[in-house]
Amino acid sequence: MYGYRLGAIGIVTTFFIIIFSTVLMPMVLFTPKPSGRGNDYTAIPLKVADAKRGRQIYVREGCFYCHTQFTRIQDRGYGPLVKEGDYVYETPHQLGTARTGPDLTNEGGRFPSEWQKAHLIEPRKVKPGSIMPSFSYLSEGDMNDLVAYIQTLGNKRSVTSFVQAPDEYLLTTPQGRGLAARKSVDTNSDAAANAGRGIYTQNCAACHGLEGRGNGPNAITLEKKPPNLTRDFYKQYPDEFWFYRISEGVTGTRMPRFQEVLSEEQRWYLVAYLKTLPKEHEEVVDSLDKLNVVEPIHLPRLTRQQWEPHHGKE
Amino acid sequence: MSTLAQASLLDRLFSRQEGSASRNFFISALWWSIWGMGAGMLAGAEFSMPDLIRNVPQLSMPHLRMWHVNAVAIGWLSMGYVGGIFHMVPTLCKTKLYSERLGNLTMWAWNLVMAGAFCTLLNGNTEGREYAELGAILDVLVVIGLVLVAFNVYMTIVQRKVKKLYVSLWYFLGSLFWFPLVYVIGQRTFVALPGLNDAIVGWFYGHNILGMWFTTVGVGMMYYLIPRYTKAPLYSHGLSMLGFWGIALFYAPTGTHHILQSPVPEWLKAIAVISSIFLLVPVLTVLTNFFMTMKGKWGLVATDMPLRFAVTSCMFYLVTCTQGPFQATRWVNWYLHFTQWVVGHAHLALLGTFSFILTSAIYYSIPRLTGKNWHSEGLIRGHYWLKFLGFCLMMTSLTTAGLIQSAGWAMGFPVDQWSLAIRPYWFLRAISGIMIVTGQLIFAYNLFKTLYTPATVSSADAKAKAREVKV
Repeated sequence: MYGYRLGAIGIVTTFFIIIFSTVLMPMVLFTPKPSGRGNDYTAIPLKVADAKRGRQIYVREGCFYCHTQFTRIQDRGYGPLVKEGDYVYETPHQLGTARTGPDLTNEGGRFPSEWQKAHLIEPRKVKPGSIMPSFSYLSEGDMNDLVAYIQTLGNKRSVTSFVQAPDEYLLTTPQGRGLAARKSVDTNSDAAANAGRGIYTQNCAACHGLEGRGNGPNAITLEKKPPNLTRDFYKQYPDEFWFYRISEGVTGTRMPRFQEVLSEEQRWYLVAYLKTLPKEHEEVVDSLDKLNVVEPIHLPRLTRQQWEPHHGKE
Repeated sequence: MSTLAQASLLDRLFSRQEGSASRNFFISALWWSIWGMGAGMLAGAEFSMPDLIRNVPQLSMPHLRMWHVNAVAIGWLSMGYVGGIFHMVPTLCKTKLYSERLGNLTMWAWNLVMAGAFCTLLNGNTEGREYAELGAILDVLVVIGLVLVAFNVYMTIVQRKVKKLYVSLWYFLGSLFWFPLVYVIGQRTFVALPGLNDAIVGWFYGHNILGMWFTTVGVGMMYYLIPRYTKAPLYSHGLSMLGFWGIALFYAPTGTHHILQSPVPEWLKAIAVISSIFLLVPVLTVLTNFFMTMKGKWGLVATDMPLRFAVTSCMFYLVTCTQGPFQATRWVNWYLHFTQWVVGHAHLALLGTFSFILTSAIYYSIPRLTGKNWHSEGLIRGHYWLKFLGFCLMMTSLTTAGLIQSAGWAMGFPVDQWSLAIRPYWFLRAISGIMIVTGQLIFAYNLFKTLYTPATVSSADAKAKAREVKV
């Protein structure tokens, strides 16, 4: 057995060098300071629902197998990029490995709490085509805590522009600068919105409905339903993003590329009109404080019109 | 039989009979594989029929997934590997296992862990760390089990009758040194590291449970089995050493390539990517060695079923280990990460490669451990084809689904725009799961019939003959 002494020493030494360099060294060298944008769950005052406990339920129900919690540089429209200091309080980490569902890094405040609850109970009623399992077995308390946790995600990241159009629509590229130079419509003016109304009625209302609620007559025939444009989420769309969506359509749906039909000026009028669509769910939940003060969470009545005009196949 | 009836309860539970520990480990592994793979099948079905089961928390997809991963990793593969080690190490040392009784004790402890895992994980009692979900008590039990196995094997080595250590022994001994350490570091049961450090240590573990345990023991088994099936000496012992040291040096630091686009230090990512690419060297040397050993013997694959399992495993190993280094590079990872492609890759390694080599080892070892020939050759063929075709279907459907997802993420589309496009692939995946579980059930039935049929005199001779074959 002594003939193998060198080999044994070699195995032990190499392995400890590797442990030292990839496990111990990062613990010493890599100690990010709290960035102020991550949530310190122990510091959140407890009012209606407990976000700290909600995080434990998130772990217990294994949400992280399908939902990730970090945005990558190429993730367009996911909100601000995460920084190393954001994760100081995240133990065990919930970075996740696969995105079978959407990324939840900046999920807090994107939807009202009641929507989140309805989605946990009946995922396919509020999001047709979703394959998320129903968590209807969670107790009332568990559900409220979980929703409270979801509403804290990314809350402290300052959101200036949540969604961003591709570069060719922004001032960072020559094409984008050309587009801005040609733009002659003031998209914030009432006159432009009035001009856009007619264009909307003629081209969009058949699917999106007269008020943009996604309940136009054609919507019944579509598998991928048109969105409810009165949602809060759409209120943060910048002009360029509306313009991009109208121009290039939405892949995977029946939304056409309207640049084939409408002139650039007409599309800008349409943008002006879309910005004036009514706003649903006036109670915006953008921080846990507001959630706790404003909303005693009720189990939603799952009437079909209230949550999504078109709720998919029964 | 009469001696068994008179034996005390202690002797029956913790038998001293030669080969009993190995056999019991194999039986337990097969038992847990059915539960683990069955859970995987059900979870797969829930992807295409999300409302299949409602209001049963134990059967919701994430809970099934926790149990599936732990049952096939800690139950099926690890227990089967220990069974293989307990058979192969004494044979290579031309001696007996140091203590069969200790081996059987370890077997019961390990089964206790699995029973505990079944009860806790399905109820969501998890630590929330991928691949390290087991609770504190079970973690401690696993470490105790691993240390007992290591002790038993090292003592067997000390008592060996041959001077030179065959390369399989290098792999087994290395794995039994690496894996308990990796497991202890990776569990993080009693420490609370801040988020990203938790992720770094977690992926050190998550990758090395594969790298320093499943791969190394699996490759050791290939080194043991292939020369025996082909009755040809190993092509090159020099190459086998190159492969061993390549894995020992380059496998362990690769973990960070799982979080390549998260804000962890760049130097750590660089180490991970470079070592991942270097892994091509040991993989190709190991496979060159196997395929050169097979030279002139490829025809045997047609008739020798255990060999066919082993060769299929080698082929899948080639595919998975060429995928791996490329996936770990930044620009391929940029496109493929977060998708079902990765799930396909993980199944290619654990199901395609290591599950196949373990199956081959069980088919090879059971007649030599019990002196009974397999109940039915036809059932082995049925098992092979169900598992092979089922796996190919799973691999293609997951890979295709992954490419569709990748395209969706790369273009910045939200999930609900492309999720409808991958529904057919979820469905195919569910079917492939049914095929694989059926194959495994056939395997279990075959083993049951083999063990509970009285041995004939001729097969006792076969056992004696089988024992004589030594490399």
